[in-house]
Amino acid sequence: MLALLAAPALAHSGEGGAGGFLSGFMHPVFGLDHVVAMLAVGLWGVFLGPPALWLLPIVFPLVMAAGGVLGILGVPLPAVETGIAASAVVLGVMVALAARPPLWAAAVLVGAFAIFHGHAHGKELPDGANAVAFSAGLVIATGLLHLTGIAFGQFARWPAGRIAVRAAGGAIAAVGLAYLSGLA
Amino acid sequence: MIGAFVDGLTQFFLPTHLLAVVALGLLAGQDAKRFPVAAVAAYAFGLAAGSVLIAAAVREQNTGPVLLAVAALAGIAVAIARPVPRAVQALSACLTGGAVALNTPPQAITIPSAVAAQTGAAIAAFAMLTIVVMIGMRARGAWHRIGLRVVGSWIAASAVLVLALRLAR
Repeated sequence: MLALLAAPALAHSGEGGAGGFLSGFMHPVFGLDHVVAMLAVGLWGVFLGPPALWLLPIVFPLVMAAGGVLGILGVPLPAVETGIAASAVVLGVMVALAARPPLWAAAVLVGAFAIFHGHAHGKELPDGANAVAFSAGLVIATGLLHLTGIAFGQFARWPAGRIAVRAAGGAIAAVGLAYLSGLA
Repeated sequence: MIGAFVDGLTQFFLPTHLLAVVALGLLAGQDAKRFPVAAVAAYAFGLAAGSVLIAAAVREQNTGPVLLAVAALAGIAVAIARPVPRAVQALSACLTGGAVALNTPPQAITIPSAVAAQTGAAIAAFAMLTIVVMIGMRARGAWHRIGLRVVGSWIAASAVLVLALRLAR
């Protein structure tokens, strides 16, 4: 009876390439601090306008992969989790303020945070035959979160939508603060 | 025979193969004014050469790292949207074709079945590259071109992560 009542284990579900892809895809989605920071990258891109709008989603995965390589190789990076939470705070504040710094400054800021996100993902990348599918799922999920942020950011074309997008930035910063303070 | 052929077709669809072939196809198709015959022909030559080596009883080779390296470099080139010399494209295509063929030896007992399976894998590999090249060539709009670059960066990031993993462990 107890065996029948037990809940199924859902972690790392699926076998083969499809299972690996799904596991990788869900990996960033289940970390709220990752999710809000990725959404913030897309939202901020909207306020920064072209070319940042499309440059950040192209550059972020590449820099994240560089951070991932550091994690895989075991190169220590101090305060990774703090860096991830701080990325949500800083990027959320940037969205809330509708800040428009020079492109290079925005790229350096986002790139620095991408290193922290990549390092965390790299350390948890599973070895084996499914590694390719897992990493593809992870990167695609991250990219789709950026695109979701960009899509939601399109509401900023209207005055009320602009307020909503900036409020979303404030909410993202609040989530980051919750992680930084240990509340989440 | 038909079963072996279909097995060969499906055997091509491994994540490592797809990363390399899609990145290569996008690279060859991106900004190409005419169909990149040299790159596609070099790829077909590589596929044929690799298949002949397999037929000559050369053992299955772990060409995964080569394919991941091609995927990473081609993906970066697509992401930064800088033209790559046609000779380099053709060389990469030949290498990729050979690596794909050597990585997909037929899982068949009889020689006719093995030939059918190897032919199926080669046709799937060739069709995939051709389709991706044509998609890349048709991406003329501003947002389509950005989409290609985003996909290139995703492929490069995925390949770099796995390449590092393979080299580290």
